[in-house]
Amino acid sequence: MGDSAYSFSLTTFSRTGKLLQIEYALNAVSNGRCSLGIAAKDGVVIATDKKVSSTLIDVDEVQKIQSISPTSGFVYSGLGPDYRVLTRSARKNSAAYERTYGEAQPITQTVKQTASLMQEYTQSGGVRPFGCSVLAAGFDEDGEPKLFQVDPSGAYFGWRATAIGKGFVNAKSFLEKRVTSEILLEDAVHTCLLTLRESFEGEINGKNIEVGVLEKGGGFRILKEEEVNDYLNEAN
Amino acid sequence: MSEFLDQSTPSSAPSGFDFSLSHRNATLSSDSKSSINMVAKKTGTTIVGTVFDGGVVLGADTRATAGSEVADKFCEKIHYLAPNIYCCGAGTAADTEKTTELISSQLSLLRMSTQSPSRVVTACTMLKRMLFRYQGHVSAALVLGGCDISGPHVFQIYPHGSTGKLPYTTMGSGSLAAMSVFENEWKENMSESEAVDIVQKAITAGIFNDLGSGSNCDVTIIRLDGTVEIRRGALKENPVEPLRSMINRSSKFTMGKGTTAVLKDTFVKAKKGGEEDMVTD
Amino acid sequence: MSILAYNGAAMIGMAGDNCVGIAADTRLGAQAQTVACTFQKTFKISDTIFVGLAGLGSDVQTLSQTLKFRKNLYELKEERTMKPKVFSAMLSTLLYEKRFGPYFIEPIVCGLQDGVPFLSGMDLIGAPVFTDDFVVSGTCTANLFGTCESLYKPSQNPDELFETLSQCLLASVDRDALSGWGGVVHIITKEGVRTRELKGRQD
Repeated sequence: MGDSAYSFSLTTFSRTGKLLQIEYALNAVSNGRCSLGIAAKDGVVIATDKKVSSTLIDVDEVQKIQSISPTSGFVYSGLGPDYRVLTRSARKNSAAYERTYGEAQPITQTVKQTASLMQEYTQSGGVRPFGCSVLAAGFDEDGEPKLFQVDPSGAYFGWRATAIGKGFVNAKSFLEKRVTSEILLEDAVHTCLLTLRESFEGEINGKNIEVGVLEKGGGFRILKEEEVNDYLNEAN
Repeated sequence: MSEFLDQSTPSSAPSGFDFSLSHRNATLSSDSKSSINMVAKKTGTTIVGTVFDGGVVLGADTRATAGSEVADKFCEKIHYLAPNIYCCGAGTAADTEKTTELISSQLSLLRMSTQSPSRVVTACTMLKRMLFRYQGHVSAALVLGGCDISGPHVFQIYPHGSTGKLPYTTMGSGSLAAMSVFENEWKENMSESEAVDIVQKAITAGIFNDLGSGSNCDVTIIRLDGTVEIRRGALKENPVEPLRSMINRSSKFTMGKGTTAVLKDTFVKAKKGGEEDMVTD
Repeated sequence: MSILAYNGAAMIGMAGDNCVGIAADTRLGAQAQTVACTFQKTFKISDTIFVGLAGLGSDVQTLSQTLKFRKNLYELKEERTMKPKVFSAMLSTLLYEKRFGPYFIEPIVCGLQDGVPFLSGMDLIGAPVFTDDFVVSGTCTANLFGTCESLYKPSQNPDELFETLSQCLLASVDRDALSGWGGVVHIITKEGVRTRELKGRQD
């Protein structure tokens, strides 16, 4: 970089004080498939719609939820390849933290580092902002389950429950009606699936959605297809 | 993008060694008055590993030495690498500790990106590549053992990076004593209890015949079914507690209040939570 | 002679009942010549963490500053206090980073973690030893091990711990030419830190 014709930052202020590139990035996020999460009292659940554009695509090879450490996981809405850069960096940082301090990295720190990386790409030369928002599930420094959202601007928020991507407004108001501070993990998984189903085009099943669960005192786990189906059958 | 990264405050651990003090240290050692004899802690050690019918048994003594002094009587020499792989370390204590920690960390990253359990050969290759890169200066002699889809495996890894895949092996200063037991008693298709017995006997041979090895015997069993059993202090041949409690101290050894002459006495109260707690000088 | 023994030092960390103590001598020498008898080798990292740095005087001062800096930065970043165990891990990492050009320091860490004593010692490249009774470091570790093995008792109260630590230190440094010339003992409890300067032989 440095001396190329494009080495200036693309993210420059418009006359009205807006950063248009960041707004475009947010558009890319809200065009992406919906992802959501709930932080329950005894754990966190994150879930996503992973409907594919063609029946020819091998769905088994599509994976949107990724574990970052044994006790944390990410999911995204927006551009998949950009998300991969974020998970790679988060995994490395998380492992380095554990080697340095001898204990697992609190999710708050993982989120801050991811947010810093995303912010860097809004102010640097020759790059564009990340085209995805991330939901992060993990434990804070007291071992409490937490859910965070990180945006392309580098802004991050802690949530009891939230949704990103296509139809996130409806999904959020759906969640608002159902999620309390007393909600438990099992209930939260069901609420997540219910919310996904609301906006889902077609039949929802273990193949076209993905669910990740973090249990308090335990680890982060991506549910198998059959497990998701079991949850769906319970709801019926 | 480096302009945004504050170089003076690394946010994560650096990826390699820092040689910034090497020049100063070389100057110090060329000073005729002193030499730099590194007296890093060693694990003058007996470590062993063997395969048996249903898995792998690893064994180690628990003595760490600094010169001829016992620095730790009950240290852990069987290190975790992966849920199905463990590694015994001999040599410089810091090197075995940090090398296995680093490889364990890399293995967990690899597991996350491949989404499959680690293989023992992978761990072996990562370790040997790291050790070879440092040309033996990272002095870790390892016995690596674990179970994966291709069965139970034991590897030995030398500090320079050479490796061997063997049914049973011993390393460390007590390796000869331990090997004599293996050569005498090892046979193919042993049961788990037979394997554990031989391992314990081999470590005991090291503890009693090698001065660099001592204290207790640790055993870790990694089975093909995925279960792992860590027997910390499986044999306690030299327990400290009974020896200490045997000492009948005269009451004269109990120092009364005011025995020591004090020049100055100050008390600083602990701050309550939430108060500013930045230390300066 | 090793550069680790150029300036001379003796220090002990010992656990008591809900308290922990750290004792160190105060001599700074240039080999046999004593340069100062008020040299600081124990450092307060927080209300519940003390670190003792035995070894090369210049590295004692550099490392103490670095450790305070890293601890302060951690607490600002993470908005929480550092636990002794975390501090010990951080120190170990710091030392091993310089594996091939080390600080000539053998540190001990003493602290209270949720009111329970924490003790660790390290060699100059960060290989940790964790104990629940005592750790020693410096130029007369053999003496220190001897006195501690004979005088240590489990669950001493702060006053008993002080006397034991002081006597272990003073007896040990009297048989070591490189350390001594006064001492300092910190007793860490939940309530606070009591610091006493000891009267020692000046020879």
